[in-house]
Amino acid sequence: MTDNYTKAVNSGFTKTLAKKLGLPRPAILRRHRAGSPLTVGPVLVVSDAASRPDADALARTLLGWGVDVRREPTDDARWGAVVLVLTGAAVPTDVSGAVLTTGSVLRSLAPSGRVVTVSRATTDGDSPELAAVRQGIDAFVRSLAKELRFGATSDGIVLTDDAAADDPTALATLRFFLSAKSAYVDGQLLPVGPTPDAARAAETATTPDHATERPLAGQVAVVTGAARGIGAAIAKTLARDGATVVCVDVPAAGEALAKTTNAVGGTALQLDVTADDAGTRILEHARARHGRLDIVVHNAGIVRDKLLANMAPAQWDAVVAVNLSAQLRINAQLLAAGLEGLRIVSLASTSGIAGGKGQTNYGFSKAGVIGHTRATAPLAAAAGGTANAVAPGFIETDMTATIPLLTREVARRLPSLQQGGQPVDVAEAVAFLVSPAAAGINGQVLRVCGQHMVGQ
Amino acid sequence: MATRKPTGSASRATARAAADRAPGVRDAVIVGGNRIPFSRTGKKYSDASNQEMLTAALEGLVARFGLQGERLGEVVGGAVLKHSRDFNLVRESVLGSSLSAQTPAFDLQQACATGLEAAINVSNKIKLGQIDSGIAGGTDTVSDAPVAVSEGLRRALLDASHAKTLQARLKALAKVRPADLKPLTPSTDEPRTGLSMGEHQAITAARWGISREAQDEIALASHQHLAAAWDAGFFDDLVTPFRGLTRDDNLRADTSMEKLASLKPVFGKSLATSSEAPVEPTMTAGNSTPLTDGASAVLLSSAEWAAERDLPVLARFVDAETAAVDFVHGHEGLLMAPVHAVPRLLARNGLTLDDIDFFEIHEAFASTVLTTLAAWEDADYCKSELGLDGALGSVDRARLNVNGSSLAAGHPFAATGGRILATAAKLVAAKAAETGRPARALLSVCAAGGLGATAIVESV
Amino acid sequence: MTAATPATGAGDPLRVESLPTLPGLGGLYARGAASSGRIAAGRALPGLPVIGYGRAGDGDDDGGGTLVLPDVAYQVTGVATAGMTAHLHDYQRLLHEPVTDVLSAGYLHVLAFPLATAVMVRPDFPLPLLGMVHLANAVELRGPVQLGDVLEVRAWAENLRPHRRGVQVDLVAEVRRADDPAGVPVWRGVSTYLAKGFEAPGTEPAGVTEPEDAAEDRAPVGTWAPPLPTGRWALGPGTGRAYGAVSGDRNPIHLSALSAKAFGFPRAIAHGMYTAARALADVGHARGEAYRWTVRFAKPVLLPGTVDVAVTPAADGVGFDYVGWNGGRRIKHFEGSVTPL
Repeated sequence: MTDNYTKAVNSGFTKTLAKKLGLPRPAILRRHRAGSPLTVGPVLVVSDAASRPDADALARTLLGWGVDVRREPTDDARWGAVVLVLTGAAVPTDVSGAVLTTGSVLRSLAPSGRVVTVSRATTDGDSPELAAVRQGIDAFVRSLAKELRFGATSDGIVLTDDAAADDPTALATLRFFLSAKSAYVDGQLLPVGPTPDAARAAETATTPDHATERPLAGQVAVVTGAARGIGAAIAKTLARDGATVVCVDVPAAGEALAKTTNAVGGTALQLDVTADDAGTRILEHARARHGRLDIVVHNAGIVRDKLLANMAPAQWDAVVAVNLSAQLRINAQLLAAGLEGLRIVSLASTSGIAGGKGQTNYGFSKAGVIGHTRATAPLAAAAGGTANAVAPGFIETDMTATIPLLTREVARRLPSLQQGGQPVDVAEAVAFLVSPAAAGINGQVLRVCGQHMVGQ
Repeated sequence: MATRKPTGSASRATARAAADRAPGVRDAVIVGGNRIPFSRTGKKYSDASNQEMLTAALEGLVARFGLQGERLGEVVGGAVLKHSRDFNLVRESVLGSSLSAQTPAFDLQQACATGLEAAINVSNKIKLGQIDSGIAGGTDTVSDAPVAVSEGLRRALLDASHAKTLQARLKALAKVRPADLKPLTPSTDEPRTGLSMGEHQAITAARWGISREAQDEIALASHQHLAAAWDAGFFDDLVTPFRGLTRDDNLRADTSMEKLASLKPVFGKSLATSSEAPVEPTMTAGNSTPLTDGASAVLLSSAEWAAERDLPVLARFVDAETAAVDFVHGHEGLLMAPVHAVPRLLARNGLTLDDIDFFEIHEAFASTVLTTLAAWEDADYCKSELGLDGALGSVDRARLNVNGSSLAAGHPFAATGGRILATAAKLVAAKAAETGRPARALLSVCAAGGLGATAIVESV
Repeated sequence: MTAATPATGAGDPLRVESLPTLPGLGGLYARGAASSGRIAAGRALPGLPVIGYGRAGDGDDDGGGTLVLPDVAYQVTGVATAGMTAHLHDYQRLLHEPVTDVLSAGYLHVLAFPLATAVMVRPDFPLPLLGMVHLANAVELRGPVQLGDVLEVRAWAENLRPHRRGVQVDLVAEVRRADDPAGVPVWRGVSTYLAKGFEAPGTEPAGVTEPEDAAEDRAPVGTWAPPLPTGRWALGPGTGRAYGAVSGDRNPIHLSALSAKAFGFPRAIAHGMYTAARALADVGHARGEAYRWTVRFAKPVLLPGTVDVAVTPAADGVGFDYVGWNGGRRIKHFEGSVTPL
């Protein structure tokens, strides 16, 4: 699925030509394969002085994952990642040593390498100095992401609500950012709260090892819009992680839905999510056929791009009905049913953050998703669950393949990673957010956009 | 209305009589069905083979019920028009599906009754405990129909292939005449009479005096009912799209009596001059089923097998009866066999027509349904031909093909049984859920060769 | 030979002439064409006597202008059917009979037909073979004849009588089992032909439907009301050639449009006996092993063509009646019956 341009500038004569002409040369990103190591090389863990205990704890955890961990830069290494622990930084000057050390190894950062910061969120009542250093890290990460080359990314874990640096959710997030599963997540800072006690207990009881390949074993997930594209990738990824997947799509998409369903060993439910009782029917199906419902991924979505001046009522209404109202109605029905520990992920979009020409309807609906996710989060948390959103940027799908070639080619080169993402990149983010270990992340929007230069 | 009450049965008597008589026989239940939308021949599926269509129908069923890798007891089905290379059509379709490769399969064929006969076979094996689960299916394509060489060419080729020497081979081939090179396409003509099914039915309709208007009314109802069922989402869990087709493309939701009345008759045109039944021709393309491509599959099992897998159960497959009629010399109409089968089936199960909530009578032609109903209402006929004491009774039209039938959906021969069975099972399940009382459906499929298959399904 | 001395239906004795084998029909047609020419020429030439009534050689020495049938019965004994398997099966497939080792009445007609034809091409046979119209046929099969049976076949002409448009004559053929030559024939067929333009005194028998040469597609749409059909035959252009090949009856009117045109037909016409044998086959096994099979031919079936047929139980409940017609034009082609004996 790698686009032809990316293929061309990475092989043979066209690679040499592209180099000489100084053309953008998007890297071929490393993606997850079962059994492959977490990082492509040793991981350097650096910190400011006050963060040293947290850095030590993280280093120990990394060692436990079988990672080659270094605490000092060495000349011989081709670094898989740098973990920059800044949790204890109190004033802006605290971070300079660790930051500059990081800079000193960037030239020997391996392709698809990672820089991951671990810091704390600003809170009301912070001293001005503390707030400054914590907020400073935000644009440090985003700026560094724009400098990194060859598929390397820079992301940040922002601990909230006094979450420990080695809280299970923080560790799961670190693992996700370090791994090839976050290939297209770049320049993002993800707020991570403490793992709720109930989830922590369940976590220790069922999946003691973060490295487990099947964190969703025994769980039942529903994916809407599962017939093809991102939805199919989500279904496959959740099934890979052990979930039994109920694949939902409109009846008209049934042929592709059956293919996806049979590939993941789940059950197909031909259902229009805009039906009044869609949530009830999803729950009935999941309970009757699989005994439970643990995960809902609201992926179904449509585009009806039109300048607002030319927008037909049906174009506006259909987009809002499918992309937004259906999610609200289904969530309401599922939460009303009293599901314990329900994990919800909604598909938003970078268009829902930055907007897009001809996408007033789509942008409205996707921003609405972000809004309702934040509002749903406490409702879900009350029953031990979470509600998060994933905002994809330009993803190579059947849908984006219909964009005119030139527009498509421009869209591909805009992100820092200079390419479109793959459906699996979105799916990995979803799978991470619904995993038991990510229970401390709630009400958040994770962008999977290759650091597209729009919005935040 | 003269309703015959066989052997003192009470109305709405339970249909367990058959099972009660045979200790050790258990229920066979219908879990659900799946078909691809039916398509008029030469349209969406013009390059789809029987195997591709049946595999698609199976795959949709597997996806609906999560049967990936499942070893089923048996998959039974067939096609009426079949290539010689498709000798193991159903088994090959199973191998191409997500079912376990250890699922056995066999082909059967009973003309248009193939699909229902397949279900009878599967349900019997389940009832006997020989298998716990099975799929009954069927597929047919006229678009991709086999084309055979002429008899002269075939014999010459066979002789040549049997010949031992070049000379003998050439001698065999020299017998081929130019006319032998013309390919033979399959026809729906009855081999024994040379009359097409439509001509046969035109004769039957003329005998029974079935009017053009009555036929057009049946056709209109079929289209309206099917369109309404589609719009209501009835087929959302019975159909999986195929090759970009999401609905039966023969369906004309906007047809009307005026449009139907404007069509020219296509069958029985020479009957107007007949001395026996001089009627103007009545059968048009509108009130006759068009040639159609498609496939269907129905999952049946024991109640235990379904329960173990948390699968839904729509209905019990209660009983079935097949019949055949002597049509060759015009004693009975070609498509009248179900007329004979149903009274026997009802009597064996202690039921009357009044005990049936849904009549699913395959609309080979609108007039087939009408001659069937007329025959059951005719006391003389029921006495002389069916051996009854009087008329079998009337069918409440409000219970007849309530979600449309073959006139609107089309009729890919072997696939029709599965369509009807899944529809009937879902109808009785919904009715029982709504009323809290058991509901029953009677299925009737007429077939070439004077054959017919009928069955009863009942809510659980 | 121990066979009883044969006689015509009227009791006139027949002289038996034995032929060594059943003649081939191809040669007979050549001879028939020659003698037909002679007879036709005789008719056309002025000054020659008008063909009249009476027996040849009964004193009128001006050249035998009266119509006299030869008082000869041809006979072939020792006809072994054992080697006819392939031929029989070809016949059965063509006529839609089940492929078995039983020789149906139609096949026995094919077997005996060359001998009857041989009678008609004798120099002393007074009517031309070519141009004769097959009016009717009546066959009785009294029991099963199987492959392997050895048979004796006889044929003669009798019952020359007037017809509205000429004279008609019966060609009688009988088949006996070789082991019972004196017994009742196991098969007996009477083929009635019309020779047009000839005259014989007397009145035309009632009830004989007269076949028309006029092509059906030139004829006006009829007024006859057919019954409901029970079958339909789609007869291809090669139907006449196929039956000609299997029966040996390669009369040019059946073979091609061109050769049929020479005899006044717009296209080739189906053999009457082909249509009658198809009807016989349509009756199926209900006819039993012994039956009477009759046919009266009306208008010929042009090839290619479609024939609607009704094969229905006879009104009296015994056996079947059949009729064939052109569905579009309401023209009757033939009708007859098959009655179990």
